[in-house]
This record gives sequence, structure tokens and C-alpha cells, in this order.
Amino acid sequence: MVSRLSLSLSCAIFAAAAQTPPQKIFPYAYTQDDLPNGLRVVTVPTDFPNIVAVYIVVQTGSRNEVEPGHTGFAHLFEHLMFKGTEKYSQQRYNDAIKRMGGASNAFTTSDFTCFYTVFSKEDLPTVLAMEADRFQNLKYSEAEFKTETLAVLGEYNKNASSPFQKLNEALLDTAYSTHTYKHTTMGFLKDIQDMPNQYEYSQKFFSRYYRPEYVTIVVAGDVKAKAVRDLAVKDWGAWKPGDYKPGIPVEPPQDAPRTSHVAWNGRTLPLLAVAYKGPAYDDSTTDTAALDALSYLAFSENSELYQKLVIQEQKADALYASSPNQVDPSLFQVLARVKKAEDVEYVRGQILATVQHFQDKPVDGSRLDAVRKHLRYELALRMDNSETVAQVVAGYVALRRTPDTMNKLFEQYARLTPQDVQQAAAKYLTENARTIVTLDAVGAAK
Amino acid sequence: MTCQVKSKVKRLASLLLFASAAAAQMRVMALPTNSPLVAFRIVFTAGSADDPPAKPGLAYLTAMMLSDGSTRTQTYREIEDSLFPMAASFSAQVDKEMSTFIGETHVDNLEGYYKLVRGMLLEPGWREEDFKRVKDDAINGIKSGLRNNDEELGKEVLYSEIYQGMSYSHYSMGTVTSLEAIKLDDVKHFYASHYAQAKLILGISGGYKPAFLERMKKDFRQLPAAAGFQPRREEPRPIDATRAVIVDKDTRSVAISLGFPISCTRRNPDYAALLVASSYLGQHRMSGSVLYDEMREKRGLNYGDYSYIEYFPRGMYQMEPSPNLGRRYQIFQIWIRPVQPSTTKFALRLATYELDKLIKDGLSQDGFAMTRDFVTKYINVLMRTQSAQLGFAIDGLYYDRPDFAGKLKQDLAKLTLADVNRVIRRYLRVDRLMIAVVSNNGEELKQQLVSDDPSPMIYNSPKPASVTDVDKIVEKWPLHLKADAIKVVPVDRVFQ
Repeated sequence: MVSRLSLSLSCAIFAAAAQTPPQKIFPYAYTQDDLPNGLRVVTVPTDFPNIVAVYIVVQTGSRNEVEPGHTGFAHLFEHLMFKGTEKYSQQRYNDAIKRMGGASNAFTTSDFTCFYTVFSKEDLPTVLAMEADRFQNLKYSEAEFKTETLAVLGEYNKNASSPFQKLNEALLDTAYSTHTYKHTTMGFLKDIQDMPNQYEYSQKFFSRYYRPEYVTIVVAGDVKAKAVRDLAVKDWGAWKPGDYKPGIPVEPPQDAPRTSHVAWNGRTLPLLAVAYKGPAYDDSTTDTAALDALSYLAFSENSELYQKLVIQEQKADALYASSPNQVDPSLFQVLARVKKAEDVEYVRGQILATVQHFQDKPVDGSRLDAVRKHLRYELALRMDNSETVAQVVAGYVALRRTPDTMNKLFEQYARLTPQDVQQAAAKYLTENARTIVTLDAVGAAK
Repeated sequence: MTCQVKSKVKRLASLLLFASAAAAQMRVMALPTNSPLVAFRIVFTAGSADDPPAKPGLAYLTAMMLSDGSTRTQTYREIEDSLFPMAASFSAQVDKEMSTFIGETHVDNLEGYYKLVRGMLLEPGWREEDFKRVKDDAINGIKSGLRNNDEELGKEVLYSEIYQGMSYSHYSMGTVTSLEAIKLDDVKHFYASHYAQAKLILGISGGYKPAFLERMKKDFRQLPAAAGFQPRREEPRPIDATRAVIVDKDTRSVAISLGFPISCTRRNPDYAALLVASSYLGQHRMSGSVLYDEMREKRGLNYGDYSYIEYFPRGMYQMEPSPNLGRRYQIFQIWIRPVQPSTTKFALRLATYELDKLIKDGLSQDGFAMTRDFVTKYINVLMRTQSAQLGFAIDGLYYDRPDFAGKLKQDLAKLTLADVNRVIRRYLRVDRLMIAVVSNNGEELKQQLVSDDPSPMIYNSPKPASVTDVDKIVEKWPLHLKADAIKVVPVDRVFQ
């Protein structure tokens, strides 16, 4: 038996002003089906012809890598999932995707792994059957496993020439003491280098997390909900659920500011990251929405600080902030690239003064309205084809397993007041919750 | 002149195009749809190939002054304040032959957005403070950006080396020294000389009204009718022997690109066949092609290996090619993603061995049929956004191939295995290669590459005979690199 939730929503893209009850932001009617084994299927018929995008979200990311020495395994599985099964060898899978002129790939974040295929609508039955097969019957030898770990090392290597990558590694490692957000999605280099020796552990990892209760299939495009549901029942219905629940360590409250410095072997402009421990994603209060709005109000291209540092004084050539939506408490981050080493302290001081300013004074209501408008149009502009519709939905499904998450978050944006933003700044952007990391060329002034 | 791809007149478009160019009029590519979004691609067929010899980067700075600068009546801050609530974008892409301004807005904001775009392109503010900023950005883009991106650096060095002595040879962003020397007056002069109706392709798609397009055309008629300069054009020089340039820098792994000029562009009847051959050898960022399977999947050498018959920048970030990088001259290129230093020579040998095998053996009937089917259907995936449809349609005008997507599908349908194998032999080769390598210990690598010593692979797992048998050939595969054909360049000197 399949439980079904069908939601017909208005096609109005834009929520009204904060005072009136907001309309749903997600413009598509979608269907949400739960199979008895715990698998969820979300179907979003769009107006875009011919193309279908299947995004399969596994709620397992680097966050789930709880055992020391095994960081990077969620990402490794992003690779291993292309190794084939008895029925569809890697070659047969690749040939099938090729014949359909499809694009098939995957990515991993701290909270989830996503496998996606974009193709013409007539190939939907083949794609869902092949995907069901590899999720249930993945098979790889130890030799294949060892070879694939080298491709993962190759991925680390190709990223390693970027100073931003190194800064990010140091930031997470410094800001977190206990939680698995301490390592990047790639994992610690020493663990990547040890991966060839971890064949048995890899099978344990697969058996734990590649289970229907961790998985939501998003199908968007030129499709009908019933056809998708029937295929899901046929191909995925027999998949056995698991019972593993990871004990993800809780990050203790930070009780003092932290700093670290990265010496870069080579020339680079200095980089500066100022980060604060923020909340876990929550659309039942205004905190998540308020910090996101703050990242725009204080640091986006039309903010006072950006205009001062980048446009007028020209001391920095990049400044941006993000407040990511993550399952567990995440980092509110401000990043700057500074033109001269001697100005790093000044830029740092300006960022801290800006944070203080938003804690002291509520922002002007019209500026908050501009952020609301920006967020709504940004979403509308992004969802310009079936693939990006699926991509956007996948990001929200990774948090709460339903596209309605997006509606709830945007309802919080609509409700947000200047006081909410001020309070969130005061609550989270505190000195004790702060981590500052700098990066500069070896030998440059710190 | 308006050329609407969906209209019945599309088959006449090439004639109209010719006529319009002769009359020095702007060209228009309009793709009206019911979308609530409106995409703009405003292309000037002037780019870094038009930079004066002493001023590499001038076309780039000119475009940046427009996309990232003020107007006569608005400061850059006012522009950013207006753009922010719309979440609309406006950016510039500068390549050898094209400067493209790319934007998208929701139709709700079309009027306000267009007002900004019109001001930025037609009434630039030319403020010194903007100039200082965009110039700094360009210089830092080379010193801190490109030089810290080994793969992109390797590819740009490859292009630069292949086109030595011609107007394509310098990096489109310029060189550090040249950018430092360029004055605001140079930029104004370039704008006055090149931003003319004769070089303009006005591209728009989405839910705009016909009257809007008419107004836009009228506005852009403010530009001078004809361009002041005729660009320098010369064929790439032939490469006399296999050569390599090693960019020496402190880095963990070794990024490799190799290639040579080809005379085939989208104008050429052989394009579809060569596209199939390249997709078979190394379809960008996809598994299932020869290089990817042999180098990454079977041997774990790196993260991926691909081949190209057109310039494809930003490949590490993009799954599909950007439109509006039209060029008169293209190269065939193999991109070997960073390998462990100890496997550099083997990886290079294996890539050239596979290229040689492709030339000698060609595709099988099955390989041909599958790849042709893939490329034919993949065109739909490539064209899935209206901005991409618009961009490729504009490229169709540039290459005198209107309805590029439709025509390419027709060409693919007519292809035979013999056609593909013929063009492989006609355009591809394994001698007279240019190789660009970004690596630590450049001099040491140079000695390795010159030597004929075998470079056997040591694997971390048993390999089947089908792999080890090939390896026995590959480990001794000649690269034909002589010591005087390899130069080692410190990274700080690249595009300096």
C-alpha cells in the first residue's frame, strides 16, 4: 500500500507583503508517495517539455561519518555507486545512459548524497529500473574498490590547488571540536589515503545507509505522477529497510573565540574567514530565515560594508557571506579576499564592527523587504528548467523529505521583522561562538 | 533585421545575415516564449583577438567596465542597489572573437532591468574609480586566481603556446604587465572603435512583448554603424615537432593538457563527424568514453580525462559548454586531470597511445551508433534553458549555421561510420603535439619526459591481462620529446 499526499498549489510565485498570509512559494503541484519500506517518491510535473530529471537524495553525507579514520566515505559512495550490478554492469549502465543521450552524475554534501540523471521522457522506465537496481544490488570487487579510491584521491588533488579549499578545511577543523562537520565532504587527506585498505568497512557503510528510509526520489519534468508511482512500486517496492541510526556527536557549546592561520605555499592574496556557530535548520522559528537575511543585509553586494571595502576603499576584491541550511548547527560564514596583507586586520575589524552594528540596531524595514524580494526572484530565476526544479527540491528534501520545506522557510522569510534579525545576530554572532581563520602566502605578514 | 528561429524564414537567414553584415546593421536573435523570464545575450563580435599587440587585456577591461561599472547617470552602487531586489544578473564573457553580455530577469522587472542594461552598455560612466577596481580584479584574477587553478592554467598555457605569434596567443584577460599599463582612455577608444552596430548581435528570449524588442533595437542604433578597426587575422602557425611547456609551481599533483590546431569549426561540414569522434574519445565530464574508462576507471590515474574540438573554459565547474565562445580557429585538445607526480609520464603516454589507437582503428560500428545516438539526444539536454538556446542560436549566426541544433541533428542522422573514421584521420594526429604541464620540480620532470626509459605502473590491486598487456606497450610508448623542445617556466612568469 502506498500512502499518498497530493498537493495542488496555486501557481502564484510570489508571496505578498509580510502582513498578509503568504502564498506558497513553490509553484508546482506535486505528489508525495510513501512506500511501505520507507522510500519516498516526490513527483513534480512541470511545464517544460520532453526532459525529465530524476534526483535521488540519500540523507547521508559527511555528517554521517561518525567513526574515526573513515571520513570521506559518503563521498566515496558517490563514486562506488557507478560500479554496476550483476544485471547492469558499469559498461551496460554507461551504454544505456549514452543511448538515451542522458546526463548522469552525483554530488555529496555534508548532509546528503545525490544521484541525478537528466534524459528524454521516454526513457523514464529504464532510468528508474536501473537506479533501483544499483541501489539494491550494487556489487564491486576489492580490486575495483581500490582503483576507485585513487580516483577519489585524484579529486582531492585537483581541488588542492585552490587556496579557498585549504581555508575551508582549516575553518571547519578549527570551528568544530566534536561534530562530524569538522571534516569536509572530501574527508581528511590521511583517511582518503587509507581508503584502499577499507573494503570491508565500505560494505558496512553501504548496508547501513543505502536503505529506503534514507532515500527520497525526486522526479521532475514531463511526467505523470501515476506512471512514476507505478514504476516506483514495481522497481523499488521489494527493497528492504534497515535499522541503523548513527550516533552523530553533538558539538558542545563553544566557550571562547578561536583562530587559526594557514600558510599557503605559493602566491595568493590573503583570505579571511569570520564564522559563527549558527543554528540547525529550523523552519518552525524565524532563526534560520533571520540569519540568512542577515547574510544579505550585512554582506551582499549592495550592503554598506561591501560598498565600503570592495567598491569605495577597494581594500578587498571579494566579500560574501552564507548561512547554510544544514541538518545540525552550521556555520554562519563571512569570507573576504584582501588585496594587501597589511589590510587584513582592518577588514577583520570592519566585519566585526558590522556584526556589532546589526546586533545594536534593527535594520530598516525597506531593506528587509528588498531581501525578501531578492530571495523570491532568485528562486524563480533558478527554476527555469526541469533539472533545476528537481535540484532545488532535492536541497529541501534533504532537510525534511518534502518540497513543502521550501514553503515553510519562505513563510518564515515573509514573517521576518527587523527585530527578528537583530535578535538572531545577538543570539548567534557572539564572540564566544566565533572562529577566525586567515590564509596567506608563506612568509607574508600576518 | 530580426531572425526568429521558429519562423518560416529561417532557411533564408544565412542570406539575410550576409546582407545585413554588408549593410553594417546589427543582427537580432529573438526567441519569444511564454516564459516568465527574459534572457539577454548581447554579443559584440570583438574580443581579445582585437587587442592591440602592446595591450593584451584591453577588450576584457572594456567589457568589465561596462558590466561592472557605473553609467553616466548612475554610480555602480546605485546600479547594484537596483539589481539586488530583482535578483537579476548581468555579466560579461570575453573571448578571442566575442564580448558577450549575459543577463536574465523576471518579466515583472523587465523595464527596470533593461533601463540598467541600456545605461551600462550605451552610456558608460568611465569613472576612474571603477577602472582601478576592474583592473585590480583582472590582475588579481591572473596572479591569485588562474595561477592557483592548475587545470585552467594548464589549458590556457596550451592555447597560448599553440597560437604563438598570432592574435589568439595571449590570455583573453591579458597579462599582468599589460593590464597595469592600460589607461582608461585606451578602454574608451576600444569601445568607440569596436562597439558598433556592425558587430552587434542582439539576443533576447523569453516572455517579452514585440514592442519591447523594437524599443531595444532603436536604443542600440545609437551605436556607431560601422566598426573603426578591421581585426588582424592570420592562420595558426604549424607546429613543427612535439613540444612541451612545464609550468613550475609548488603543487601536489600534475595537471596536463595537450593538443594542436584543427581547421574544423561549426562552419565545416565535417563538424558533426568530428564531434562524434571527440565524444567517443572523451565526452566532457562523463563516464563511458575511451579516455575516462582507460585512464580513470581501469587504472585509477586521476579524476577524469576528456577530449574537445572547441575551446571549453571552466570545465572543472561546468558540465556543459558555454555558448558565445565562437572562434575562427579551434584546437583539438585532451584534458588529463591532475595525476600523482609518479604517474605523469605514464598518463601522458597512455593518452597519446589511445589517441593513436583511435586514429589507426577508428570507431567500431557499435561505438559509432551509440555515440551518434548520444550526441543527437544530448543536444536536447544542452539546450534545456532558454539562455542556452539563445546562446547557441547566436553562435549559429556567427558560424553562418542558422538553426544550429536542428541542422546538427540532421547532419548526425546522415553520418556513417566511414565519415567519422575519415575525419579522424583527416584532423587528428599523434605527432607535432603541444603539451602543457603544471607541476612541481619542473626540471626533474623535463629530464623524465626526454628520457626513453620505461615508466611502468605500480597498482594497488591486481589488474587483468587486458590492462597489463596494454601497459607493457604504453610504458615504452614514444613521446618524441627532445630536450630543446621542452621549456620550464616558473608560474610567476606565466601571463606576467
